[in-house]
Amino acid sequence: MNSLQRLQCLLAGEMADRRMFTMPLSQYSAALTGCSLEEHYNDPAAYARGQTAVRETFAPDILFGPVIVAAIGEAFGSKARYFDKGPPVVSTPAIEAASEWKGLPLPDPDRHPRLSYLREALRRVVAEHGREVPVAVLLVAPIDIPGLVMGLDAWLETLLFDRPAAEAIMQRVTPFAADLANRCFADGAAFVVWTIGFASPGFVTREILQEFSRPVLVDTLARVHGPVVLHHLEFPLVANLDVLSGLPSVAGFVLAQGDNLKRARRLLGADSILLSGPASPWMRRAAAADVEAVCRKTLENRRDDPRFILASCKGDMYIDTPPANIHAFRKSVEEFAGDRR
Amino acid sequence: MTPGEHPDGELSDLNIRRALVAAISRADRERAGQLLDYWAARHGYAAAYKDLLEPALKRIGRGINSERFSLAQAYVAAKVAEDMLTKSAGSFAQNSEQRTAKGPVVLGNAEEDFHALGRRMVATMLRSSGWVVCDLGNDVPAAEFVDKAIEIGARVIGVSAMTVTTALNIKEVRRELDARGLSGRIQLAVGGAVFLVADGLCDEVGGDGTAPDMLEAPHLFAELWARGERFEDAR
Repeated sequence: MNSLQRLQCLLAGEMADRRMFTMPLSQYSAALTGCSLEEHYNDPAAYARGQTAVRETFAPDILFGPVIVAAIGEAFGSKARYFDKGPPVVSTPAIEAASEWKGLPLPDPDRHPRLSYLREALRRVVAEHGREVPVAVLLVAPIDIPGLVMGLDAWLETLLFDRPAAEAIMQRVTPFAADLANRCFADGAAFVVWTIGFASPGFVTREILQEFSRPVLVDTLARVHGPVVLHHLEFPLVANLDVLSGLPSVAGFVLAQGDNLKRARRLLGADSILLSGPASPWMRRAAAADVEAVCRKTLENRRDDPRFILASCKGDMYIDTPPANIHAFRKSVEEFAGDRR
Repeated sequence: MTPGEHPDGELSDLNIRRALVAAISRADRERAGQLLDYWAARHGYAAAYKDLLEPALKRIGRGINSERFSLAQAYVAAKVAEDMLTKSAGSFAQNSEQRTAKGPVVLGNAEEDFHALGRRMVATMLRSSGWVVCDLGNDVPAAEFVDKAIEIGARVIGVSAMTVTTALNIKEVRRELDARGLSGRIQLAVGGAVFLVADGLCDEVGGDGTAPDMLEAPHLFAELWARGERFEDAR
């Protein structure tokens, strides 16, 4: 059974030969091929070679396009700093205040160099592996985009103290977010992952979630023509799943290591895909035996849940994570399948 | 002043305390400000900070209904504290209310780290607790932290980082302190969301202490300051 067949089983609510497992190994793949991060984040062919190495080394059931959220900020005019041992970050936001959004042109996903890189890398990974392994791409939901364009402080300030301005910003951002997601589907993405920091209890109040974040997500997701998986980003998400259930186009959720998965399943119903497992910062320093134990415990928790995927949470796997920890992750899935037979 | 919550229009101290916690939890900066002004009109701004805002922030820091507070609530708490600082500065000048300055301390984001929000909120909370803060901003080289601490006589350097990758650059600050024979005398506080999920990261980067959130930062800095003094006294 290949990974695509496992996904088809999962969608049909049937148990496959074993659990699917995955983790974003975007920057990690550069280490596998000995590629500099500068080349990795600029050359789609180099990126695709990295994902091939990931598949050969760890065989995850889902591969990823480049995890490079700073590129979305760059597309709006923010400046990013590139490093030799980690992913780029936005260093200077494009604008400083909500009023400046009016003069800000929306980026063209077909023409902006950073978005072209992201999409071409995705297309290459799909072309090479997509017939057997689903390929996902990690983007950001419209509610998280302003943080990359005006800075987190200014976005939070606007959202908290000038709601009409925040809504006007969303009027501009939502068509772009939907368009970029749709173009990634056209490029072959099996699903799009959206971080939803500004819908998580760690970021916003229930009032903001209900009155602002959810309506924006409903509006944008209704324009998206493919499955979207919503990602917790930083903090546990389960406390807000009652409000986030039933959103259009949403196939599932990536939940945090500390999230209560039984409660999540109750709140979301049987059809939603749940992805969860150890957090990437934790995996960087944990012992392989501990990684295996945490994975095993998570798998036990979801033993009879056909729509669960063991996945690392919180973000891209750190480049200095011991390979043994990633192998332990995979081993837990294989041994769990053996025990079930 | 505030919309009456009590039949005779007066708010009891207990009700004000509860209302302030509720206002900050709702991220309602305006209402929180009204309540603090109401208290200050009767007791003065120094008391409004010490007897009302500080306990409210501690209560919020312990969590509401066992849920941790959100970034939005923390941001509003910092804004309310900042508002209080501005108002109380005027009040101190007019009414000779005095608060003893603490510090100075040095604050900044680790080299290659550009996530300013957490650092700014910590700076606000420290200042509102009476600390003199020298904020060096984003992407600060290790030597600059130590140079500034020596220059202003700081016993605590606080370094913020958002990711493991940038947190590891804090090791350079520790190396710099060690190389100049300042470890112990100058304490190294580290913080950022990543320290909550990456076990052992504080020790790995050479931090002397960390706090789970910005509301705990004044307590951490006070503890580290005292530790630095004890180290100095013992020499």
